[in-house]
Amino acid sequence: MKLNPQTVSWLQVAPLTVVLLVFFGIPMLMVGAVSFFDYERWQIVPTFILDNYVELFQSSLTLRLYLIAIKYVAIVWAVTLIIGFTVAYFLVFHVRSLTLKMGLFLLCTVPFWTSNIIRMISWIPFLGRNGVFNSGLESLGIIDQPLSFLLFSDFAVIVAYVHLNTLFMIVPIFNSMARIDPGLIEAAHDAGASRWRVIWEVVLPLSKTGIALGSIFVITLVMGDFFVVKIMSGGQSATVVSALATEIASLQYPPAAASAVVLVVIVALMVSAILRLVDVRRELTG
Amino acid sequence: MASDTRKGDIELVSVTKRFGDMVAVDNVSLRIPHGAYCCLLGPSGCGKTTILRMIAGHETPSQGDIRIGGASVAGQTPLQRGTAMMFQAYALFPHLSVLDNVAFSLKMRGLDREARHQQARELLAKVRLDQFADRLPAQLSGGQQQRVALARALITNPRVLLLDEPLSALDEYLRLRMRGELRRMQKQLGITFVHVTHTQLEAIAVADMLVVMDQGRIEQSSSPDKIYNTPRTAYVARFIGGQNVLSGKVEGVADGMATLRDAGGARLTAPLGNAKPQMGSQLYLAIRRDRIEVAKAGGNSADAGEANVVRGKVHSIEYQGSYAKVTIDLAQPEEFVANVSDVDFLRAPVEIGDEVLARWSPANVRLLEGAGGLGDKQIYADADLI
Amino acid sequence: MTMHSTADRSRPWTFYALAAFFTLFVLFLYGPMIVIYVLSFQGPNGGLTFPLQGVSLHWFDALIKQERTGDIAGAFRRSIGLAAMVTVLTVVLSVMAGLAFRRRFAGAGLVFYMAIASLIMPGLFVSLGIGLIFQMLGVTPTWYGSALGAQLTWTLPYGLLIMFAVLGRFNRAYEEAASDLGASNWQRLRHVTLPIVLPGIIGVALFGFTLSYDEFPRTVLTSGSSNTLPLEIWAMTTDVTSPALFAVGTVTTVISFIVIGLALTSIALIERRRLRRVSLDESPTVD
Repeated sequence: MKLNPQTVSWLQVAPLTVVLLVFFGIPMLMVGAVSFFDYERWQIVPTFILDNYVELFQSSLTLRLYLIAIKYVAIVWAVTLIIGFTVAYFLVFHVRSLTLKMGLFLLCTVPFWTSNIIRMISWIPFLGRNGVFNSGLESLGIIDQPLSFLLFSDFAVIVAYVHLNTLFMIVPIFNSMARIDPGLIEAAHDAGASRWRVIWEVVLPLSKTGIALGSIFVITLVMGDFFVVKIMSGGQSATVVSALATEIASLQYPPAAASAVVLVVIVALMVSAILRLVDVRRELTG
Repeated sequence: MASDTRKGDIELVSVTKRFGDMVAVDNVSLRIPHGAYCCLLGPSGCGKTTILRMIAGHETPSQGDIRIGGASVAGQTPLQRGTAMMFQAYALFPHLSVLDNVAFSLKMRGLDREARHQQARELLAKVRLDQFADRLPAQLSGGQQQRVALARALITNPRVLLLDEPLSALDEYLRLRMRGELRRMQKQLGITFVHVTHTQLEAIAVADMLVVMDQGRIEQSSSPDKIYNTPRTAYVARFIGGQNVLSGKVEGVADGMATLRDAGGARLTAPLGNAKPQMGSQLYLAIRRDRIEVAKAGGNSADAGEANVVRGKVHSIEYQGSYAKVTIDLAQPEEFVANVSDVDFLRAPVEIGDEVLARWSPANVRLLEGAGGLGDKQIYADADLI
Repeated sequence: MTMHSTADRSRPWTFYALAAFFTLFVLFLYGPMIVIYVLSFQGPNGGLTFPLQGVSLHWFDALIKQERTGDIAGAFRRSIGLAAMVTVLTVVLSVMAGLAFRRRFAGAGLVFYMAIASLIMPGLFVSLGIGLIFQMLGVTPTWYGSALGAQLTWTLPYGLLIMFAVLGRFNRAYEEAASDLGASNWQRLRHVTLPIVLPGIIGVALFGFTLSYDEFPRTVLTSGSSNTLPLEIWAMTTDVTSPALFAVGTVTTVISFIVIGLALTSIALIERRRLRRVSLDESPTVD
């Protein structure tokens, strides 16, 4: 019994496809459907109304939340890009031994393998009024009063985001840079380009794919976050998804669903804008 | 390994292979006798590897049939056909020891550990690698890996061994040594070898039967010495090397000789053989590079009536040990080279820039078949031949 | 892979600047976590920040005794169990799907994009969707049912991408050689393809385990009435009153490190064994 190769492929990909359909595809459709439902105090009512969307777009809170989210995204993206690019550049171009390169790379990635929540709350004893950072600064005599903006503030939120997500910039940029033919760099040098020109004219353009991929990851992660902002701002700030989480907690599923749909559309637009600028397909398919 | 009594003669019957719009093999028919060492020679893209893979069973012909031992092998697996292949980079399984690599096909057939390890060890002893049996392929040198690949293929007792550029992964010195090994082994085993290569020197050295290919077609198929001395077409003459290709318009035919006038006005003659060319047609001929006499032109020019003499400037001289390769610029796109023996060169040396006359005897000239124009591509010999 | 010729052994000033930057970055990454590990050894009367009032295992003890910490032991058991199931399923499904994608088949693009979408989608939404469906169907969400499925939507795309990278690099000549030597398709897979890509498969398992073990957004609405460890930790963070939380953090990180260490070591050992070069006997006499 010799099976047609297409059939074999179908059989092999079927389990994964089924799982993704059942636990991702259909639930997402469900969220979309529920966004048109009505709700009463304890239950949702399956109908088709646009009220949830109307309320969403009419509420000034929505705009404010999105502005906050975009503010975080912009800052975090910029910071992670600079750090990610610099670290990747250092590892690829300045570390000579391959084992050391891989070792240091692993060193950067290992924290990723531990719990996000633990890593996030580990900043609390660090940044608090009596925390390590303040105590250190005080004992060094740089300040006399503890800096209170460090924790439970926008600053803390951004620090946490950067801490959790820089890795997602480092890995794709590292990959892109590692593929650059060193001969190109040497040729640029021979042609008289200064270090900065080389980075600007050679390294940066050739790392475009990695930067695009990293940006997509960072943007979707920050836009989709709900717990970092809640904890690290001490409840003072909220972003789109954390407000959504509150609605879920009070069983207001339809408005939450509508909010989710709108967010997905907006993030999808952002991602496709990036993909339009840079062709990433080659990188993904190895 | 006992000489195989199953017939291992191969026949390709009007075989064509297409990949989408691209025709890799174009209506090729070929007969390789049992026990022959056959080389498929040509530049990359000429179809030689595709033919090899079709004989092996790794590709199926789009049209035509392949017969081994007189019977069609269409639809049969490599094992069923009795063919075994030695891959270009050997493809030794990196996760298995040398012993397990060699014993692999026996394991697939279901032999138990004792039996297959014993057979594998015997074969490894024959290729003198038995003390490396427990090593991993990465721990062997290139030459050793090749012998393991050979042993692994031979354990299946094939009637045809197919070698895909077996020597290209080796360095120069090893290449020369392994050439002899392969030839020796083939004689010992008595089975048919089909060896694909793009290196002319290699092909001439090992083959009983040489098949020169270009763009999916066979240009000439014969013994190496016949191909070297009497190339059939301009392509073969240029590809094999060692020949200059000249061309001219037919002016006259007399006494079994054709007279041609080339673009520079020189008169060329060539033995006609069976050819019956038309007046005014453009013909190509080949003259062996080591049958050319080179002398300084001085103030003399050739007699207006003298044939088979050309005049030009020495463009470059390359010392090759037993001869000097003198390239002469004839103001034509085709390269003209005279391989002057070191004795002759010492007696009458020339220098770059000298005006020289190059002469040869018409007896050493061969008329070539076909159009033979250079076209867009330049055919470069892979290595210099005498 | 350096910008300077190999003859140039001296390092430019930028190297030191970048190295310093890198060191700061590593400190940034590890610093806070180290603070937590240290603080988890806080004395019994100590608070949530320095100074350490004595060094003790009091808070680890509290974990085991489950005072002030909720059902940590149960959550821990569930997390490990769930992670184990997710790992096995991720490996099997990702490897199979990876093999499928080596050929072109109708619908390949759709499956691929669905996997990528699943990767990028905020976990909370997936959680919400699954929760809604289960509610509508009247099925109770459980940590071994709905949460398992939810976590798979996160691990499967990663597993698939890893298999793409691994199989993409895989040299088909090995498979052809196997066929040539008489192996059937199944034998080829079992004796040649899978063993050779084993390091990649271990990588998939590693991703599957750690992603599941630490997973939070997708699990938060789908695990039903019993918590996994991250959920339990989350409950504790809203009410950070004792260093017991830090002790949990330390323990869970140690477990992660052990798993990572095992996986990476086995990969390194396999690669090293296959690539190690012993002296190359190229001399003619040995031949």
